[in-house]
Amino acid sequence: MAINVMIGSVSIPLVDLLGIISQRVTESTSGFIVWKIRLPRAIAAVLGGSFLAISGLLLQVFFRNPIVGPFILGISSGATLMVAVVMLSTLSLGMPALNPFFSTLAALMGAYGAMILILTIATRVRSGVTLLITGLMLGYLCHALTSVLVAFAEREKIKGFVLWQLGSFAGFKWLEIGILFLAGGVILIAVYGLSKPLNAFLLGEEYASTMGVNIRLFRFLILLCACALAGMVTAVAGPVAFVGLAVPHMARLCFATSDNRVLVPGTILLGGTITSLCDLVARWLFSPVELPISAITAFFGAPMVISLLMKRRTFL
Amino acid sequence: MNRRSSSEVMIESRDLAVGYGEKTVLAALNIQIQAGQFISLLGPNGAGKTTLLKTLARLLSPRQGTIFLDGKALQFFRQEELARVLAVVLTEQVSPGLFSAFEFVSLGRYPHTGFLGTLQKRDRQAIQTSFSLVHAEDLAPRQLNTLSDGERQKVFVARALAQDPRVILLDEPTLHLDLKHRMEVMSILQRLCREKGITVVASLHDVDIAAKISDQVALVKNGAIIAWGPPEEVLQEETVSALYDFQGASFNQRLGSIEFRSNGNKGSVFVVAGMASGVILYRLLSKRGFSIVTGILPANDLDYYVARSLGAECIVEAPMTEISPQAFEQASKLLAAADGVIDAGFPVGNLNRKNLRLLDLAQEQGKPLFTLRTDIDAPGFRPSADDQRIRCQTEMHLLEKLGSSLKER
Repeated sequence: MAINVMIGSVSIPLVDLLGIISQRVTESTSGFIVWKIRLPRAIAAVLGGSFLAISGLLLQVFFRNPIVGPFILGISSGATLMVAVVMLSTLSLGMPALNPFFSTLAALMGAYGAMILILTIATRVRSGVTLLITGLMLGYLCHALTSVLVAFAEREKIKGFVLWQLGSFAGFKWLEIGILFLAGGVILIAVYGLSKPLNAFLLGEEYASTMGVNIRLFRFLILLCACALAGMVTAVAGPVAFVGLAVPHMARLCFATSDNRVLVPGTILLGGTITSLCDLVARWLFSPVELPISAITAFFGAPMVISLLMKRRTFL
Repeated sequence: MNRRSSSEVMIESRDLAVGYGEKTVLAALNIQIQAGQFISLLGPNGAGKTTLLKTLARLLSPRQGTIFLDGKALQFFRQEELARVLAVVLTEQVSPGLFSAFEFVSLGRYPHTGFLGTLQKRDRQAIQTSFSLVHAEDLAPRQLNTLSDGERQKVFVARALAQDPRVILLDEPTLHLDLKHRMEVMSILQRLCREKGITVVASLHDVDIAAKISDQVALVKNGAIIAWGPPEEVLQEETVSALYDFQGASFNQRLGSIEFRSNGNKGSVFVVAGMASGVILYRLLSKRGFSIVTGILPANDLDYYVARSLGAECIVEAPMTEISPQAFEQASKLLAAADGVIDAGFPVGNLNRKNLRLLDLAQEQGKPLFTLRTDIDAPGFRPSADDQRIRCQTEMHLLEKLGSSLKER
């Protein structure tokens, strides 16, 4: 994270950085860059990465499926659809310039709209597979609607939308980070509390039920936490790909266990670290041109997931 | 079906109907299971054994009626409370991932541990006990995904035991297991019953094993439990054949095993046997497709039970009586119609001396006569002038010669 703050178009040596942070210098150029740009971004990457990774872990355990990620249930699609509505359609008429805060709000509404839908369905259907397919279909529906919007949209608006879709941890305000930290932190603690029933869920719902897990309650809680975390990140950073899918596997390999009491904290740490690294690479590789974070995560994530599945070295 | 007993009733169902979705699989079940008994559910695939077990475990809700577990209606149990009374072993293959067998079994402590599932000393002891009950202490440190099917099943039973249950429900616990592990798992279950007083309800496919281990068996077929009771009463030849719609096989209660019948298209053979001398021969002949006629056997002879199960035509005499002229008459008629005759090497005594006369008859009629008798030249077996007996050392040997001899004719 420190490296993340140091490196950039304007590099800031470690000594200066420590000085800037400890003395809360905000007047100098370096101070401005650190406090307004680099530090919020670095923190956001850590938070976003860990939230997405935990969301992925929860859903992988819940569905007992190693290739499930946080967006499998249509969270990102819902957010994307709402953002598309705001950014591409003429709904923004009457507003002189598109307020970035507006798209965040739209994404939040989209993500949580999808989440409420999924949770409603989850209380009705028994089988996890049905729910999974429902989520996938919901995603396709949103995608379809989005592409209709894209087809009708003006050309210059599309680029902005495409860039949003690729996700970025840039341009975070301290307020957003504060909210993210508090809300997400509460959920992460809740998730750690869920790790005992999560372990039982590893044996499937039937065994979990006969071991004393209240399936209905925990199914709801697991989905709620997973969707809330993923939705939160999507709203502020866009749909950042692959972190949620790959990191839980990496954690399993690193800690050589499927015990969620170890994996939950492990995944939080790994998710934060890896996302920071990816964000660093994204900014630094073709500096000053900044690559979208999803490009980097997918670039590393996809081959890794493929090789993991080929070798079958990881199990749920 | 509704037998009251003085001992404690562990599971009871009243007017129970089980099924899934809109489909009722079994209806009007009134079951009573005493504590500490071993109950086997037998029946063909798809009869509803699994559905019944899952309903008893509250994984499916009953379509109708009520289940009482230890006197309390099942639906009033809290989930963890239920888990402390009842544990299951299902057929579903689960791969929970990177767990050691110890960690896996420790998941069974779920209903006994605190918020984060931290193991206390008492939990560790319970896990150790579970491992030793299934004779798998050595498996504890192994990774779950390195275990063989048999070892895995023992660990799964240990996990159920770690819940410290009073009832264990098992769905096909011996499926996919080799003979050694099948026997081992069954004897483990039996011991749980006898020594720990745990009530075991298992769906099984092996009628023979079920008959030897269970206190009660339930035969499940056509949407109902068609029979319920001690295997000694329930598992008759006709009941078992009807249960599985056996064709070409039959279950013999006294033998406790299933015999396979042949279509008998290779020719008919008359076997002169008795005192268990013919058992191996019968099975071999049946397997190779010969139809068997055998006699003259006492009605309580092992040879008779096996031969009858194999569908052989038997000429029988009352036990401990000398062979009657009527039986001999019947035998010589059937012998005349046979393609070949075999002397199984039966011990000769006063009561069955006439069987030797049958062999002479065969020679006189020019039937190919095969013999397994080793003491063939011993005094008392007067060799006839033109002894054409084909001597064979073993049953396999005999079958070879029989096959080629019948082909020539």
